[in-house]
Formats: sequence, structure tokens, C-alpha cells
Amino acid sequence: MAKPGDVLLFSVVRRDHRPWFLLLNAAVATTGGLLLPAALAGAVDMALSGEFVLFTVVWLLLLAATEIVGDAIGIVLAATITSRATAWLRRELSRKLLSLGHPSPFAAGDAVSRVTGDCGNAGGIAVTLITLLVTAVSSVGAVVALALLDWRLAVVFAVSVPLAMLLVRTHMQLTADDVLAYQEVSGDVSARLLDAVSGRRTIAAAGIAGHETERVLRPLPRLAAAGAGMWRTQAKMMWRAGLLLPAVEVAVLVTAGFGVMEGRLTPGDVLAALGYAALGMGVVGQIPQLTALERTRASATRIAEVLGTEVPARPAVLPGAGVLELREVTVGTALRDVTLSIPAGSFAAVVGRSGSGKSTLAAVLGGLSAVDSGTVRRDGAIGYAFERPALLGTTIGRSIGYGTDSDEIQVRDAAVAAQVHDVLIRLPQGYETPLADAPLSGGEVQRIGLARAIIRDPEVLVLDDATASLDTVTEAKVDKALTTALPGRTRVVVTHRPATAARADVVVWLDDGRVRGTGTHRELWEHEDYRAVFTGGE
Amino acid sequence: MRFYLSTLAGHRRGVLVLLGWSMLEGIPAFFGGRLVGTAVDKGFAAGNPLAGVLWLLSFAALAVVGALGQRQVFARLGAVVEPMRDALVTRIVRGVLSDPTHRRTPDASAVAMITRHVEVVRDATAGVLVQARALLVTTVAALIGIATTAAALIWLVVLPIVAALVLFGLLLPSLAKRQRDAVMADERTAEASGAVLTGLRDVAACDASAEAYRDVARQVDQQARATVTVAWANALRATVIAIGGFAPIALLVAFAPPLVASGQLTTGAVLAAVVYLTNSVNPALHGLARTTSTVVMRLMVALKRLQEAAPRTDGAIGAETPANGEFVLRDVTFGWSPDAEPVLRGLSLDLRPGDHLAVVGPSGIGKSTMASLLTGLMPPGNGSVLFGGAPVDQVTPAVRHHAIALIPQETYLFTGTVRENLTLLAPRATDEDLVEAAKKVGATPLLDRLGGLGAKLGHGGEGLSAGEAQLLALARVFVTSASVVILDEATSHLDPAAEARVERAFAQREGILVVIAHRLSSALRANRVLVMDGGKPLLGTHEHLLKTSALYGQLMLAWDPTHREETPLPKR
Repeated sequence: MAKPGDVLLFSVVRRDHRPWFLLLNAAVATTGGLLLPAALAGAVDMALSGEFVLFTVVWLLLLAATEIVGDAIGIVLAATITSRATAWLRRELSRKLLSLGHPSPFAAGDAVSRVTGDCGNAGGIAVTLITLLVTAVSSVGAVVALALLDWRLAVVFAVSVPLAMLLVRTHMQLTADDVLAYQEVSGDVSARLLDAVSGRRTIAAAGIAGHETERVLRPLPRLAAAGAGMWRTQAKMMWRAGLLLPAVEVAVLVTAGFGVMEGRLTPGDVLAALGYAALGMGVVGQIPQLTALERTRASATRIAEVLGTEVPARPAVLPGAGVLELREVTVGTALRDVTLSIPAGSFAAVVGRSGSGKSTLAAVLGGLSAVDSGTVRRDGAIGYAFERPALLGTTIGRSIGYGTDSDEIQVRDAAVAAQVHDVLIRLPQGYETPLADAPLSGGEVQRIGLARAIIRDPEVLVLDDATASLDTVTEAKVDKALTTALPGRTRVVVTHRPATAARADVVVWLDDGRVRGTGTHRELWEHEDYRAVFTGGE
Repeated sequence: MRFYLSTLAGHRRGVLVLLGWSMLEGIPAFFGGRLVGTAVDKGFAAGNPLAGVLWLLSFAALAVVGALGQRQVFARLGAVVEPMRDALVTRIVRGVLSDPTHRRTPDASAVAMITRHVEVVRDATAGVLVQARALLVTTVAALIGIATTAAALIWLVVLPIVAALVLFGLLLPSLAKRQRDAVMADERTAEASGAVLTGLRDVAACDASAEAYRDVARQVDQQARATVTVAWANALRATVIAIGGFAPIALLVAFAPPLVASGQLTTGAVLAAVVYLTNSVNPALHGLARTTSTVVMRLMVALKRLQEAAPRTDGAIGAETPANGEFVLRDVTFGWSPDAEPVLRGLSLDLRPGDHLAVVGPSGIGKSTMASLLTGLMPPGNGSVLFGGAPVDQVTPAVRHHAIALIPQETYLFTGTVRENLTLLAPRATDEDLVEAAKKVGATPLLDRLGGLGAKLGHGGEGLSAGEAQLLALARVFVTSASVVILDEATSHLDPAAEARVERAFAQREGILVVIAHRLSSALRANRVLVMDGGKPLLGTHEHLLKTSALYGQLMLAWDPTHREETPLPKR
């Protein structure tokens, strides 16, 4: 049954020429391997004759060397093919996930596991397929070799082939469900752990680590059940395989024994027959590869799911002075029929109770989120700052210049404007400190996030509660510096603070996803409900 | 590693049963070559086909026994491997969640890494149990088999194998190093993609997908190169093992002719020796090479990484009992390290039931440290934090956790019903209690929107705004009987009105309320204010501080720089 991931796997195999080399190498090594039992038979017969023949021994050594060297080359080639394919898939998937942008239809943890885990599985497709192919070919070759020794051997052996095929088929159906269940439950445990880790301070302060450990681990029995199912399947397979191989061997040996008795075969040929029977049954030894193939296909499906997701249309940034216009914009239930216009160079504050749609409005105004209906007209480049920015890039300095080609001086200037320069120069390696090693508080991260917006010198600044963790003194300084560093820019500021709203040219007052009113802070202050947004209706 | 072995030892019975069954598996390996040799010697070559067939049938019977053993081994593998994985996951999760340092909070990618390593340990353990065990049983059985059938040739067989194994052992360290490098590269890939994928919003906002892609692609490509380097090392060790496995066969056929000629070796003995080598010893050796170099290395690296992710925590557990519900802080000083500037210096403070303290000060000054000291999460560097007369970090954990509740800025919500989330700290609370608590903190509209207490929440409070998540966290603590409540910027995502409502609700409860203030309006509602500014902390009422502290005045001024009468400071 074709899965959506199969097309992807096909393109993975096709895009590299190395699988052909691996195939060629495997052809040589397999040929060596197929000739080896015959050469061994010849050598044993030579030994039994009590006479040393140099050529026979050299031929045996040559074939063995071919097989050994071929295997060694095969290991390196296989690793190269798999790692290149994995890297390609990871790059493609990352590119796609990045282009899907924000908000992503795939949760972060899930996306990471697709990039790290699933790409690794799917990258092995070419090697898995070639291994299966080579095994099949060498099995057929072994049957031919048996026939060349004595046609009876081949007939006896051929009877066992349908049995092997039957074995392979049932296996494919048995494992898929368990493998999928195992992957799902494993993902659930991870997501639960991530939840708990984010709330670690709550857990520590309440002393409920034990309790929460249990909560995280609640799906474990299902995981163990799925795992046990996989082992049981394996056990059944091994049992059948374990029976099949000796049964075939004995059948071949008996046939060969009569051959020896009737003078058709030499004692050495008995060994050759045994060797070819083992080679021919190699397919059965590839059962783990079939599990791997199943897992590969499941992973490829998960990758294809991402790659097949349509990228939402995002209008290009038009050059301009920073005019923002919304007409009857609706986004889910967060924003409803919002119409407003913010002229270039003005300072707009967005206020409203928690959950009234402020962040969504900011995201729409900045072009970060697509809208369900209505029209958005914007021009000018956007600089964003968030309440909780995720700092990205290699070093602290890079995290400020992230996505731009700004130099050290520009980075430093932006940091100065955001009132964070003094903090950064005290870090272990200053601006060169790797992000992971920088101990930063929430307020410091916020100011770096501001610097990141400032450095882009945008026409429009969207500050989504970006100074919420700053105390009012620091906030006032940042505000002043922002006005100095970027004068005359359009500013959209989501805020909870009346002082900020009072400074704005226009206040957009949101209530339950709708614009309840626009005007200056002074005008809106007449409304009792507006005052209640700030004072709690005292 | 020790943990791993002790866990395995914990399933000793399972492992022993496994080993018992593998003895069965070794039987065909021990008799296989000999029976084939005898079948030819005494049967087919002697012109007695019946004897030959019978010998071969006994070979078949033994193979059935061996297969039965193998089946049992695999069926019982789950009984060892799955509980081992469960124990490992349990320990890791508990370790991560109980880690008291909070300095290295694992993020999404770290969690993904943990999951991956646990899978490696599971697969590798199964691999080792299957392969290494089979190798041992088969090789030993087969070597004994050779020794009993073709004793004259035993050294030709044993020496190359031993030589190959020694050489293989010598290669192991470099192999291990490369393997470790590859695993590190793997982790860096996970880190890089984790950082970018959890920060997608910011990547989009910075229009930086090109740079984000470059950062990820660099690690991805490095990882690919490291994998190939490992493959070269693996190819070398495979060659060593293959030569070691084939040499005995070549030596055997080369040295056998004179022995056969002199009658020391029969046809059957030569056949038996070759069958032993090709059918038992060689496959086992290849298995060993595969298992040790890849599986065991990965296993060890994964175990080491897991241990780092979840350090063993064995902090001493206090057993003091507080005499009352009062806090007494004397000369408390706290710094993150002896060299660092202290976050808190010489703080003395008494808190009695009914007190409502607000802690204010500039960002990043370490106000949260106060919360950690009061909850006993960290002991003070100098001075004492006494709760009911006992050092708070030494109070019996059950008593302390029951009496003191902390609500941090970052909310903990998990997948489950709203009810489960709200009863986290008060398992015996009734639905009426929960609804009442939600009403008090102003979460009733949220509760209605979600669809009541039975509504399901997704992972990480999916679909809730940060403010809504905070409301649930507040209601969760409100419903407890904690006598000390510490709000560590717990209302930062609420609007001022909602914040005021929450603080008033908590202030009306009996006991002590400490508000690590996010907005200065919190100070106006408190009956005492602690100002933290890096120097000696200032303590007093709002009015007193306005008169005596320039910093406090400045803070208040900045809060309302316009001095518009329309935006007055909230009244007390």
C-alpha cells in the first residue's frame, strides 16, 4: 500500500549518484560471495585429497579478499549515502518549516523530532533498499549455483522459497501498527515532559516533583505494551526463521548426501551446498531491514506531511513610510471586523483586557499572521519586539543582528539604545558570548529583543508588550532612547500601562476581539469601562 | 552506567531466564558440525544412507530445540528491555523535575534529545542481549565442537581469532572517540534546529529564515561528516574481524592435506571443522564487531548524556517543624557565587499573618531570589530565613509545601481537564471550591469560555493566552490552604484591572501575601514595600518610602511621568 511518504523516499534515492556506486560495489562483493562456497568446496576437496594445490588456495583467498574489501567499501559508501540523504532531508524540512513561519501548524517539539528523528530514519532508504535488493539477488544467485551443483538441490531448496515469502509478508502487516503506536506514545511522553519542564519552578516550590513525574509517565504502560508487541512479533519471526533455515539445510544436506553416495558430488560439494542454502535464505536474515523499511516509510510520511503543507500567502513588504490600514479584518475568534488606519509616523497604543486580542492585532499589523478575511494594507519595513523574545543566532552579538548583515558598531549602537549595552559588556565574553552560556534575566532578554528591532531601522515598530518585564524607570529610559534612535517611525505598542497609553497619538481600545474605541487616551478616559482596563474599576 | 547495570540487575531474573534459554540456542552450534561430519563419515561416504539421514535428522531436531530457545529469548527480551526503559525514563524524568538548581532548564530540543537517547538505550540493550549473548554461546560451543572433532587443528583456528580480537580491542578507543564526536554533532543539530523551531515567531519577525536556515544547515552538514568519519573506522574494524574469521578456514585447508594423508584427520572431521567455522564462529564474530562498535558505543554515550541531563539529586531533607506561621529574616545575604555582586544584602524583615508585602525594584535585580529564599528552594548565603522559628529550607518538606505557595511568572499547565489542573495543589478541593476560587481571581469568564471544569486543556495550555494561563495558576493556589502566598510576577500577563482584583482577593485571605511586583501599582496595595536596588534593601510603607527614598520617588514618578490627573495612581 503506497504511503504519502513513498514519493518523497523515491526522490531521496534519485537525487544522489552514490547509490549506483554502492550497487556496483555490492555486485562485485556479491559475485565474490557467490563464488566463495564453490571455492571453499574445491579447497576442502583438495585438503581431503591429501595434496596441497597452490592455485586452489590462492583462488579461495582472492575471493575472500574481494568480499572483505567490498564489505569495507560498502560500509563507508552506505554511511555516506545515508548521511547525505539525511542532511538533505533535514535541510529541506528546516527550510519548509521556516517558510511556514508563524504560527506554525506543527508544535515546536514535534517539529524538532521530525527534523532530528524522522529525517534520520528516512535518510536510510537507499541503503535499506539496496541491501534488500542485494540480498534478493544473492539468494537467486545461490539457487542458480545449487542448480549448477545438482539440479535436485535447487528443486529441494526452491520448495522453501514460498514459505520464506509468506513469512516476509505477514511481518510487514504485523509491525506497522505497533511501530506507529510506539512512536505516538513516545511523542506524548515527550510533550508531557516539556510541559512539566516549563513549569519546573511551580513543581519545585510545591514539592510535587514525584507527583508530576507520575503524570508525565502516565502513558508508559501503553508504550511498554506497544514495545512488547514489537518483541512478540520479532519472537514469532525468529521462531519461524529459526525453524525454516535448519529445515532447508537438512533437506539440502540429505539431497547432497545421496549425491555423494552416488558419486555425483564430492564431500566438499556438501559444504558448498550448505553455503548456498544459507546464502539463499539470506532474505530471512533481512527481517530487521523490513522493520527498518516500515519505520522509514512512517517517518517519510511524517516528513511529507510537513513538506506538503501549503505556505500561507504573505504579502511582500512594500516600500513606504509606514502606513497601516486594516479593513474588516477577522482572525478566528481573536479579532472580529477590525477596521482601523494608522498614519505614517504616528504612535498607536493598543490596550485592552487580557485575551482581548491585542497580540493578534499586533501580529496582523506587522504582517506576522495571515488573516481569515478582510484586507490589510501596509508599507514600510517592520521591526518587532516581544514580551518574551526567543533569542537566536550563535552569539549574543549575532542575536541582536539576527537576520541582518549589520556590523559590530551597529550592534553596539542598538544595544546602547535598548539600555542593555552595560549588561552585555559584563558577560563572560562580552558580545561574543555564546547564547547558551549567557545568564540573562527576562528583562535583559526583552531589551536585547528591543535592540534586535532597533538595528533593523524599520519604518514601523511593533512592540508587543515588549517592555512588560522592565520596571517603569527602565521602561521610560528605553522609550526615550527609542524616540531618539528612531525618530518619526510609526509605532504600534501593545501595553498595559496608562502612562504609555497617555503618550500615544492614538489609542486602539480592544474588547473581546473588536475595536471598542479609538482616540487619545484623554478622550477615551471618559469611558468608565476604559478606565477599568487600567484601574480594575476602583 | 552504574544505574544502567543496577537496573539490569534489578531484572536479574529476566536476564537469567534469557541466558538459560540461550543455552538451548547453543546446542545446535555445539553439535552441528559434528553431526554433519558424522553423517558423511558413517552414512553417505560409508554407503549407508539410512544412517546418514538419521544423523542429519538428529541435527534437525537439535535445530528445532535451538530455534525454540531463540524464540523464548526474543519473547522474553520485552520483559527485560521494556521495564528497563520504563525505569530509565522514570529516573530521567524524576531527575529533571527534581533538579533543584534550575540553572539548566531543558528546552524542547533537550527533551527531544532525552527521548532519542532513551530509544538508543532500549534498542542497544536489546541488541547487546541478542548479539553478545548469541556470540558468546555460539563461539564457545563451536570452539569446543572443533576441539573435540579436529583437535590437531585447534590452534590454527584459535590463534587468528584471538589475534583479530586483540587488534579489534586496540582499535576500540579511536572508534569510541569518533563515535562520541558523531553523537555530539547529533546533539548540536538537535540544539540548533530546536532553537530555531521553538523561536519560529522571532525568526519570522526578524525576517531571518535565511540566517536561521544557515545555522541549522551548518550543524546538519557537520553531523553528516562526523557520521562518515565513524564509517571509516567501522570499515577498518569490519576488515580486521573478517580477516580474523576467514584466516582459520584458509589455514585449515592449507594445513589439512598432510594430516588427511597420514590418516590423522577423517573426511568427516575436516567437514565438521569447516561447518563449525562457516556456520557458527564467523557469523558470531561479525555480530560481535557490529554490536561492540556501534551498539555498545552508542549505548554508553547515550547513558552518559542521560546522566548529565538528569543529575542524581540527593539533597538532605529537613525535619524541622515550624512553631507558627511567621517569617523572620535576619541579615540575609545572597549571591550566585562568592565573587558575584550579592543580589540581596543584609535584609532583615518580619512577616506576620495578615501582612501584605510588595517587593519592587529595577528589572534583573534579583527580586525572584526573595521568592526562592522564602519558599526554601535555596538557602541564604549568610543570615537566616526562619519560618516559625526553623530555617525554612530545613522544615519538613510536606509541612513547608503545604504552608507556603509560590506562583511564578511562568505558568505550569499540563494536558488534562481544567479540574485536574486546578486541583494540582489541593487534590481534595470540591468543584464548588474550584468555581469559587476561579470567581475570586476573576477566572469565571475564562472557565465559561473553556466550557467548565471538565474541559480539556492541550499541551502547555495550548489555545490559552499567557494571561489566561496565569489566571488558572492563580486559581489553583487560591483554592489551597497555604498560609503564605508568594506571587512572583504571577500577574505579569494580566491587565492592571485583573491584577488588582487578584491581589485584593489574595490579600483578603488569612495569612501572609508577598507580591514580587511587576507594576508599581502593586506597591500601593501593599501595607509594606521592600525596595531592592542592589544596595541595602529599603523597607517601609508607601508613604514612608516616598518621603525617605529618592529611588522610590523616582520609581513612582516614572510610573506616571505625565502627571495627568486623568491617570491617577490607584488609591489605596
